Amino acid sequence: MKRVGIVGAGGISRTHADRWSRMPDIELAGFYDIVEDAARGAVQRSGGKVFSSLNELFDAVDYVDVCTPGTAHVGPVVAALEAGLPTVCEKPLANSVADCERIVDAAERTGTPLFVAMVVRFFPQFAKAKQVLDSGAIGAPGVIRTVRSGSYPDGGSGWRKGLAITSYYADFAQSGGVLLDLCIHDIDYQRWCLGEIERVFARGMMFAGKEPKDHALLTVRFASGAVGHIEGSWSYPRGRSSTRIEIAGTKGVIEWDSRARQPVEVAIAQEDGSLASSGSSPTAPRHDPYYAELAHFVSCAEAEEPFLVTPYDGLMAVKISRAAIKSLETGKAVTIS
Amino acid sequence: MENAETRGPESSSEVRVGMFSFAHMHAASYIHFLAQMEGVTLAGIYDDDYDRGGRIAAQFNVPYFRRSEGLLDQELDGAIICSENALHAPLVLQAAGKVRGILCEKPIATTVSDGQAMIDRCRESGTKLQIAFPMRFSPPVMELKSQVESGVLGEVYSVKTTNHGSMPGRWFVDAKLAGGGAVIDHTVHVVDLIRWIWGTEVVEVYAEVGRELLHPGLGMDDVGLLSFQLANGIFGTLDTSWSRPPSYPTWGDVKLDVLGENGLICIDAFEQNLHVSSDEAGKTSDVNWGSSGDEGLVADFVAMIREGREPSVDGEDGLRALEVALAAYESARRTDPVQL
Repeated sequence: MKRVGIVGAGGISRTHADRWSRMPDIELAGFYDIVEDAARGAVQRSGGKVFSSLNELFDAVDYVDVCTPGTAHVGPVVAALEAGLPTVCEKPLANSVADCERIVDAAERTGTPLFVAMVVRFFPQFAKAKQVLDSGAIGAPGVIRTVRSGSYPDGGSGWRKGLAITSYYADFAQSGGVLLDLCIHDIDYQRWCLGEIERVFARGMMFAGKEPKDHALLTVRFASGAVGHIEGSWSYPRGRSSTRIEIAGTKGVIEWDSRARQPVEVAIAQEDGSLASSGSSPTAPRHDPYYAELAHFVSCAEAEEPFLVTPYDGLMAVKISRAAIKSLETGKAVTIS
Repeated sequence: MENAETRGPESSSEVRVGMFSFAHMHAASYIHFLAQMEGVTLAGIYDDDYDRGGRIAAQFNVPYFRRSEGLLDQELDGAIICSENALHAPLVLQAAGKVRGILCEKPIATTVSDGQAMIDRCRESGTKLQIAFPMRFSPPVMELKSQVESGVLGEVYSVKTTNHGSMPGRWFVDAKLAGGGAVIDHTVHVVDLIRWIWGTEVVEVYAEVGRELLHPGLGMDDVGLLSFQLANGIFGTLDTSWSRPPSYPTWGDVKLDVLGENGLICIDAFEQNLHVSSDEAGKTSDVNWGSSGDEGLVADFVAMIREGREPSVDGEDGLRALEVALAAYESARRTDPVQL
């Protein structure tokens, strides 16, 4: 039995806590949050205890899961690594390249395993697309396009609207807007599939003064010569989100669209004559991407094997997201150093 | 120089149309619709490819001309020019003043100077020059324009577009005749739609252009990603890539996603399809049942001649779209945005 402590009690913390609770041989030891009420709420929902300091948490656990906002990763992550505790760090690795470098240095210096929770690599359709690409079925990839678009992430729900994280997202100087919060998934995924990225060019609304709305269209150039396109949005109308993958190669194309027909569609006539319809795409519990990424962390940490996502991958994703923001600011293409 | 205006719109109720070259496959679609139209006479076919021209002339039971002069002597009202891109200019310059209207396949030309010369000569000789942008006549595109004009979106933020295609081969991959690859082939359609829908211009373009990324040995660009800024404040991207392999269900697409403060409108101009699985074809294909924009385009061209009105899509429209495509190549060379 391994004990896990979660640092931070916001939105993603709740998701992780739920998955840890369902994992065999894992005990959710509890939460630490600088806002003690938030930790208390998390404990009421998910169990464990409220820790009153990072050190108290470190003393009680085998693994640390850092779920604070990206601006507040560097402190707890470096401390956990120095304490020798294998650590999960939610994406982005940190919000600044400098913080990322401090974290990567700490991971190298201490040799403590650090897993960056780039969950998109664990979404079954994204993982399968990478597997098909690697099989050679579509030949050499030339163009990759991905979409990650929805409405502003207050979820429309009361509890989320009340969280400090909601105003954090809307403060683009803090959160980095869609480029750092959302497009980072696609940057990491595209880089995983097609290799190093040489330059980016971005257009978007980050500096348009329309917070919390944000929207960006990115072009990327890979070292291989291939090109990529990324759409990320917090401006879609609520209820109309979209996720897409398209990879075109010399011998074929891979496509997936979240808006394609769902495997389960429910249509129920209502008494007032209207129709209530919904669709879903259920998978086995172990293929839930959040469960899968945390289970991957545990199995690699125990077998002392490298993670699918390295600290360097986490650093590069932030570097490229930051370069995209710089491109927005300068109106120029930005080369990744 | 002859002046086309000496032949007034009422000179004949019949509109006599000559087809100049079937190098571009759109010509086959244009002649198909022309042949069905009331009051249109197919006066003949010129093609520098004897086999191709002769075969199609026989199919439609019209005279074949080995020289363009021969067809131009047939008292034509209209000339439809579907030669290789670089050969639009000589044919248009030759036909100007001899016909009332010219429908020239897109892109207008391969260089700005050719395009400008075509516009000037047609203007001087009183011949109306229309550029073939059939997507303006696609019902899903027309619906998008009407939705945008209704203001339902509120402030419009961005337009994300694709005009994917299959690698067309033949002269399309001969840089001299085509003027370039995927970027010149597919930039102009969507740029024209955007200019038309919003009555605006592209003021800046950045592009990543890829050569032989999808078709090794092609010797030219087969991938294009354009990122553009419009004069009206909207930004957007356009993917022009020839990224639809032979195993794909269809030749390509024209898609526009328009995002505004109140929501999103997405159109896919070629999404009205039957899904046909055929052992013969060895794959499942999309067979389109939608209304062809080509039919509307050709009808509009004939009506322009009959009514003696100005073209709905003129040479300037064609030239502006070409300039964006050429700026995309320039941007890719410089790795820097290009202002227009």
